[in-house]
Amino acid sequence: MMGGDTEGGDSEFERRTRALLMQSAEALPGAVRSRLTRARHAALAARSVRAPSFTRRWMPLGAAVAAVLALLIVYVPHSRSPLENPVTGAGLEDIELLTDTDAVPLNGDQEVDYDFYEWAAAEAAGAGGPAVGS
Amino acid sequence: MAAFASLVTQTADLIPSGKAHLRDTTQDATRALEAFLASVERKAFRIAQIALRHEADALDVVQDAMMQLSSRYASRPPQEWKPLFYRILENRVRDVQRRRSVRSRVMSYMPWRGEDEEDAVDPVDLAVDHAPLPPAQLESDEAMAALEQAITELPTRQRQAFLLRNFEGMDVAETAAAMKCSAGSVKTHYFRALQALRSKLGEFRT
Repeated sequence: MMGGDTEGGDSEFERRTRALLMQSAEALPGAVRSRLTRARHAALAARSVRAPSFTRRWMPLGAAVAAVLALLIVYVPHSRSPLENPVTGAGLEDIELLTDTDAVPLNGDQEVDYDFYEWAAAEAAGAGGPAVGS
Repeated sequence: MAAFASLVTQTADLIPSGKAHLRDTTQDATRALEAFLASVERKAFRIAQIALRHEADALDVVQDAMMQLSSRYASRPPQEWKPLFYRILENRVRDVQRRRSVRSRVMSYMPWRGEDEEDAVDPVDLAVDHAPLPPAQLESDEAMAALEQAITELPTRQRQAFLLRNFEGMDVAETAAAMKCSAGSVKTHYFRALQALRSKLGEFRT
């Protein structure tokens, strides 16, 4: 078993020392033997109440992935404006055009005063004359 | 023992009845681990005691090694338990030796410190036992004391190789795994340990 200090087997010296050591281990005081027995039972009981190894192994990884996802959601900038319509692509500019009361109406010609625009254009062309209202 | 048996039974009862084979496997593994720990605990204690020269510390490191093997490595194949257990044990022994070294260095700067309770000699230990020992027992005790002293004086690696090979009965491969070195190193350490012990304990040579 030991092989000894030569390959042929144990020497007498090895057998003698082993016998002494074995004898000392067998002759341990009762208090020590009792403590060793309690230690063994405590070790086995600790094993019995441990969580399943699968859960123990993957729980930290799951927590890390959840944390990374939460950071991504909070800090990564969005490519679309929050007011942009996801279907038509209409953005904030379109809404401003629709709500601008001074702009030219976009919903037809019936309310446009063409005479006014023609008069304004003629006035602009004859800018050399006296200004209106002067 | 009865309390432990009931604990094993209760733990096994937590497994659904449809998985009876799993419960049997768990119980078998627990029994195998208990048998292994029972087979090594006394030798492990003596190995730790020889290295640390302190009974309470030796008990603590054996318990730590048992706990760690049971909680971390019990799922390994049983043939790996022994090298793993003794590697853990040796690591714990080294931890205690380091703590002692640091503690003694720190305490050397405190000349005002009183005698530490842990270092105080128990008067019971000093009491003389007047009961006569049988001659054979006396001779054996003296021989063991001389052997233990000689093993303590060995370099650490030689001590490990000698105790694991000669006392625990591990083969070269197991010893190499426990000592985290090559098989050749184990043979060298063991051979040198034998030489050193022979030179100190010549009377053992019969």
